[in-house]
Amino acid sequence: MNWGLARLRNKVLQLRLGGRSLDPLARENLHALEGLRLDSPAREHNFVVMDLETTGLDPTRDRVVSVGAFRLVQGRVRLGEVFSELCNPGRDIPVESIKVHAIVPDMIKDARPAWEVFEDFLAFIGTDILVAHYAAFDIYILNLAMKARTGFGLQNLVLDTVEMCRALLLRPDPYGVYGDFRKCGLDQLAEEYGLEVPERHTALGDAMTTALIFQRFLQRMEQDGEGSLRDLMRIGSMSF
Amino acid sequence: MGDFPLPRIKDFIHTVVPFDTLREEDLTRAVSRMEIAYFPRGEVIVRSGDAPAQFLHIIKSGSVKVTLTDDAGNEMLIDLRGEGDCFGAVSLLQGVKALFDVTAREDVIAFLLPGEYFRRLVETYPTFKRHFSFSLARNIQASRRANQAPGSLLTGGQSLGLDAILGRSLVSELMTTSVLACAPVTPVKAAARRMTKQRVGSIIVEDQNGLPLGIITDTDLRVRVLAGGLDADTPVTEVMSQPMRTIHTKAYAFEAMLEMIRHRVHHLGVTEGERLVGVISDHDLRVVTGAAPVGVVRDVDKISSVDELELIHQRLDPVLEMLLRLGGSAEYMLELATEFNDSLITKILELSELEMEHEGLGRAPVPYAWLALGSAGRREQALRTCQMNGLIFANLPEDRWRKTQGWFLTLAKRAVERLTQAGFPTCPDGLMANQPGWCLSEAGWQDTFLRLIEEKDICVMPHSGPLFDFRCVHAEMDFCEPLRQIIHRAQEGNRQFLARLGRLAPGERPPLGFLREFVVDKAGQYQARLDLKLSGLQPVVRVARVLAMEQGLKSTSTLDRLAELARRGILNERFAGDLREAFSFITLLRIARHLESRAAGREHDSQLDPASLSAVQRKMLKESFAVISQLQEFVEQRYRAQMIA
Repeated sequence: MNWGLARLRNKVLQLRLGGRSLDPLARENLHALEGLRLDSPAREHNFVVMDLETTGLDPTRDRVVSVGAFRLVQGRVRLGEVFSELCNPGRDIPVESIKVHAIVPDMIKDARPAWEVFEDFLAFIGTDILVAHYAAFDIYILNLAMKARTGFGLQNLVLDTVEMCRALLLRPDPYGVYGDFRKCGLDQLAEEYGLEVPERHTALGDAMTTALIFQRFLQRMEQDGEGSLRDLMRIGSMSF
Repeated sequence: MGDFPLPRIKDFIHTVVPFDTLREEDLTRAVSRMEIAYFPRGEVIVRSGDAPAQFLHIIKSGSVKVTLTDDAGNEMLIDLRGEGDCFGAVSLLQGVKALFDVTAREDVIAFLLPGEYFRRLVETYPTFKRHFSFSLARNIQASRRANQAPGSLLTGGQSLGLDAILGRSLVSELMTTSVLACAPVTPVKAAARRMTKQRVGSIIVEDQNGLPLGIITDTDLRVRVLAGGLDADTPVTEVMSQPMRTIHTKAYAFEAMLEMIRHRVHHLGVTEGERLVGVISDHDLRVVTGAAPVGVVRDVDKISSVDELELIHQRLDPVLEMLLRLGGSAEYMLELATEFNDSLITKILELSELEMEHEGLGRAPVPYAWLALGSAGRREQALRTCQMNGLIFANLPEDRWRKTQGWFLTLAKRAVERLTQAGFPTCPDGLMANQPGWCLSEAGWQDTFLRLIEEKDICVMPHSGPLFDFRCVHAEMDFCEPLRQIIHRAQEGNRQFLARLGRLAPGERPPLGFLREFVVDKAGQYQARLDLKLSGLQPVVRVARVLAMEQGLKSTSTLDRLAELARRGILNERFAGDLREAFSFITLLRIARHLESRAAGREHDSQLDPASLSAVQRKMLKESFAVISQLQEFVEQRYRAQMIA
């Protein structure tokens, strides 16, 4: 979704909600796009890089078991501004997914239910720009929580590191004939950049890897003279 | 969220010195205050003159170089830092502008600790204070005020502050601006009077346009005028030192120091453009450094009795140590040590001769020279390794031979003894001038070398190599050049000799796998150690020697030989450059080890525990060994081909 569309949707939403009274979290999020200047350097904005671990890959049926995120300020990953929590999915955890994230039912039996965790996570995100690898999946789930909470979806700008990878690293491939996109997997990128992957397939570990990759992309764009927020939105906006 | 959620990051920080001494809760707190930054290769992370640092940088992966750039745009390498090393501490702690440029050598990921929290750690933890040695800088300033030379601080194992002082101080801050100048026709008497009146140690001799022609110092007056018995009305031009070496006002103090060592002078004129604005002396530098590298060689000349020999070597070590810390090149250090050792042996011979004369044994019956062999012959004896030397004297009739050798053997016996006293142990296989076999006339030495060339016993050959690195010291006649020519002619007529020497040259293969494994298994226990001399230096020395002999080169030093071989196209220029780097790096490492173990009161060996190296050093060592192993292959090929031919 590009900048224009996001703005338009936000305007319509603001009109629709009109004079309705909103709680602080909803009100803040409704105005997330205000004050963003397209020609400002991308680095000056705050980003929240996130990852979710779920019970499976079907966002309509599967539930979240773990949330991890870091905040980037001035292009640097802040180790003190971390969100990391397990949540109780309210359903059984398929063995297949346990093989991936290694979260067993015992670990989450005392965890809070997902909606409570998301309440805090939405507050953590605030109005920062969201970044995720294959963002559509995470945003879909996050939006469900947001809608349940406020009646409308997240208004934040969203960037997808897979989109950025395709635009920055791969040769142009409008018909998808090369199959290069596999090179944009998290593992492949981590290897490409020689990143020592900490705790892969934990939400926080993957969020860290994504953050380090995003850091490189940001740097790369600046080096190419494409360091504005406009450039970032053009190259990295999540596609639906 | 009690504990830090990313244990691996915390584990890493816990391995970084001095963070390894933090209490658990402080470590967690420190880590959660950090930020991760990425710097692509080539990015200048800190530029000298930038505002004071905001963060302490801890390198997670990649490496950086710390450099200084002088006015002429020459970049000077101060240090390399790699995984687990820090930078930015001095600027943070002293709140001063950045002193050096820090550039990413490879892609770098660094943890940044905010300055405020870092300062709190330095206040709370003595280990931090010690490691970042902020106190040293203050100590030096304080002692400067108290007008005491802070010599002992230098060896205190704290380097950062001192580097900073020498690296930060500009020549313009240390120089004397009250410069006296006089015309070329001025009599010495008048110049000396003005110097005394103004209480300065030097006066510049200028031409009518104000351009400096030379300089007269206290020493010149004493040595050339008084001791030389010159008339006080002699014009200054006859006693001045010239040309006067100059340096720019914006140069750093340690550049001035290296300049003085290079030209063996005590004073440099300080210029701004063409104009002379001041003078800087080694005394000015001594105020900040505590040791006088320039003076150390001359200290030897001042020795008047053999009792002073024992303490003399204590003067060289601190200077080498300082040079090491300032990033001085191996070449400088070897040069300085050789100069020092040569002055020492000259002094010893002079004193011994004098002694023998007093005892009624008379003077040297014929001209002679001291032969430096092995590492001393190659001008590479930076450490006090065991003696290897000989004595050569002029040919004389058969009937006088025995008696003459007797006189020289007495001299050599005393000299060897005194060298031992000065810290050079005797050689276990007796290759010293006090042995009849190594105290010979010119003809005797020729015979010895010719026999060595004809020698076919493969067991004897490796030991004869160092003999061919001979060099004359304290020579009253040039014995060495004719000898070298005779050897060259003889080996031309016997190709087998070089081929045999060439095949022996490669020696041991450097332990590449050893290091590689080591890098992988960082946590594991490694009992094995590495011999820097045997598998690092020796192959290079031997190969350079055999190639140099083949080409009939005059130079004996390995670095010179390699450079000359590149000029002649025997070695590829880049390869020779890499080899010189590798040789220099291992030499520096060896000197550093040696000084460390000496400071700790341990016996020195050239064994190295790779665990004691930083990541960058390990990497450079690995690269060095890779180059050396290429050289070994090269020389094996070359002499195998010659055998067949």
